[in-house]
Amino acid sequence: MKMRHPMTGAIYERLESGGCRVTETDGRSGVFTENGRWLSGEVREADLHFLNWVGGPQVESSGGTISGLASGEAGAAVPTFQPRATVAGERKGKGMDLGLSGKRALVTAASRGIGLSIARQLADEGCDVAICARSEGGLESAVKDLEQRGVRVFAKAVDVSDGPALRAFVAEAAGALGGLDIFVSNASAGGGMGEQAWQASFEIDVMGAARGVEAALPFLTKSDAGSIVFISSTAALEYLGVPQPYNAMKAALIAHAGDLSQALAKQGIRVNTVSPGPIYFEGGNWQMIKQAMPAIYQGALAQCAIGRMGTPEEVARAVVFLASPAASLITGANLVCDGGFTKGHQF
Amino acid sequence: MATEPLLPFRKPNEGPRSEGLSYQQLLDTDTRPVPDVLRWQSARDLPASKVPISRYTSREFHDLEVEKLWKKVWQFACREEQIPEVGDHSVYKIADIEIVVVRATATEIKAFRNTCLHRGRAIKDCDGRSQELRCPFHGWSWNLDGSLKTIPARWDFPHVNRDEYHLPEVRVGCWGGYVFINMDPDGVSLETYLGDLPKHFTRWPHEKKYIEAWVGKVMPCNWKVCQEAFMEAYHVIATHPQMLPGIGDCNSQYDAWDTFSRAITPNMTVSPHLGWEPTQQDQLDAMFSRDIGAEPLLRVPEGMTARELVGQMTRMQLRATVAGVEDLTDAELNDSFYYTVFPNFHPWGAHNRITYRFRPNGNDPNSCLMEVFFISPFRGKRPAPAKFHLLGTADDWTQAAELGFLARVFNQDTGNLFRVQDGLRAAAHSHVTLAGYQETKPRHFHALLEKHINA
Repeated sequence: MKMRHPMTGAIYERLESGGCRVTETDGRSGVFTENGRWLSGEVREADLHFLNWVGGPQVESSGGTISGLASGEAGAAVPTFQPRATVAGERKGKGMDLGLSGKRALVTAASRGIGLSIARQLADEGCDVAICARSEGGLESAVKDLEQRGVRVFAKAVDVSDGPALRAFVAEAAGALGGLDIFVSNASAGGGMGEQAWQASFEIDVMGAARGVEAALPFLTKSDAGSIVFISSTAALEYLGVPQPYNAMKAALIAHAGDLSQALAKQGIRVNTVSPGPIYFEGGNWQMIKQAMPAIYQGALAQCAIGRMGTPEEVARAVVFLASPAASLITGANLVCDGGFTKGHQF
Repeated sequence: MATEPLLPFRKPNEGPRSEGLSYQQLLDTDTRPVPDVLRWQSARDLPASKVPISRYTSREFHDLEVEKLWKKVWQFACREEQIPEVGDHSVYKIADIEIVVVRATATEIKAFRNTCLHRGRAIKDCDGRSQELRCPFHGWSWNLDGSLKTIPARWDFPHVNRDEYHLPEVRVGCWGGYVFINMDPDGVSLETYLGDLPKHFTRWPHEKKYIEAWVGKVMPCNWKVCQEAFMEAYHVIATHPQMLPGIGDCNSQYDAWDTFSRAITPNMTVSPHLGWEPTQQDQLDAMFSRDIGAEPLLRVPEGMTARELVGQMTRMQLRATVAGVEDLTDAELNDSFYYTVFPNFHPWGAHNRITYRFRPNGNDPNSCLMEVFFISPFRGKRPAPAKFHLLGTADDWTQAAELGFLARVFNQDTGNLFRVQDGLRAAAHSHVTLAGYQETKPRHFHALLEKHINA
């Protein structure tokens, strides 16, 4: 380690052999112990505390606070896709109809990002939607946005890690919308390291999905188009540079969705997973990473075969398709939605 | 009924201040609405600019503190989360007095002198869980409410009356998940004692946090020498020079209320002490202690300030466990808010994890126990509190990996503390001299200490 003293301008350099070399701005130097004792050289006086900082015991840099990676930007132009402006029953042409008109969908953590995009597209397809988010703040504008699309909207501030609150929300949402056909578990604790991140990822990513499904089942079984979609991540599929609870918990979601797809098939409920790669949006993690850690951003971008990161809208289209009766034959699938970010062949 | 203030009021913002932005001016530039708690200012008339050196070095003064301070004052004994189940107990020691704090019922915490009323053995040796308080010597036992339960060979003690042999009780109060005790049966309640402190913490409720880490070390200095090193930013210029490009050390704000004081030190601003103009990147590098020649860990984007960047990073980190992070001010995401509740309890504000406690090491005026708690937010089920990690006297703080980079900062402070004690013991003069403003917190402490000692 080598640092410049902010007050004197002298360079302090930690030596392999122990101790610290201090080089003054006029080029004279001296060597000292980390405790300030002079060992050799012309310079006989140095800052004890700065010697300790540079020459003293160091700690491993923990580094890993960034991640999450649930979210990418367009190096190349994002293709535009205009959803049909839907009024229920008013369809022309013989194109594929998703069959979502009049259905009722619940999406967790839908005040921003991927969750909000999913709710918007479901609403554009004519679904009534229930959404939640942890704080009231973002919900208000999301509700306004969704209501403008001409559907019924139920929204509540819910901490998804709070089991009883989540169950109550699902029941209230089904009550408000007159039932439930689609349950989308999108809430995530995001990245982070350590015991707390494990706990939060477990409670939010895994238990948010597991408890949410349990609470939604009584309603989904009554639907003729019951469908569940979990949002996982490509972080569950490939090594992403640092071991994180997020990655392992996202993997657990894929396994649980597979189990549920078998167990619930007889009741006519389909269960699928969507695994997004790097998704870029305003206020998302990748925007911050692009600004603050351009090397990591460029690396991830280079790995995207299509030459750009994804958008929340692109992920949402995949989710909406899987959730819809149009995907009636698909259950137990994990749909990777990453623009070629992961390199394995998907058999 | 309005209670008489302990210390006479004074108008805040009297007296000379450093050049540069005041903290209140810095708040005017915040990108979010600033909550009242950051706008509150308060000053008290604090006469103690000179503190007798004997307060830090003499056994006589320590004995006075035991009688007049520790036996009279509300003090932080343990956290509620450390005694969650009925029968859980924690042994708190101050000087050579021991108090056992017990979860007596699901809703009640009680505290007793930890001494058997038979032959005087300490009843509990350490923290644990048991359905009675039983002395290991002859087996006398008390119920969790302190009433006498059993005496083996009861026939031999016809002279022992059950009611008179209730364990001597100590008052208990709780705030913020912290359990406080007070040996003085009279005096004000904890609630009255803390005054407006709880209002300061409504945005950052400590009762909703948990002990993520708990590290202690016996320090070779008086407990007041030790804690006073953590009550001001004046020492940064000499003791932590690496921070100067990214800290508004002498632009800190200091406030005093009756029983507590507060310092606010801005980070990702520039120290007026610096003789040069650091870039935004220099400010950030100071925080991450960037190696010359190394790539920066983080790069400040064009058009962004280091303060905004650290704000965004902190927001990202807190999102998993803290609700409403979008509303947190740049101030809360960057700056240090360090409170001191008289005499020795130091919870930090915003979402900084630090809480300190400093206690005399037994009856030795020349050493103390410094404890660092990381009190952290969580979601979902309350995690188990961290166990005590007591460092050896020869260990440096980096032995406690859970402290992260703070360990190295403590090492710099530790480099002063034992030499302060040496210097004080060797002094030919009689007083230490405190600054008018930047040492408001130690002066506030000594004004209250004086009141106790002279009471």
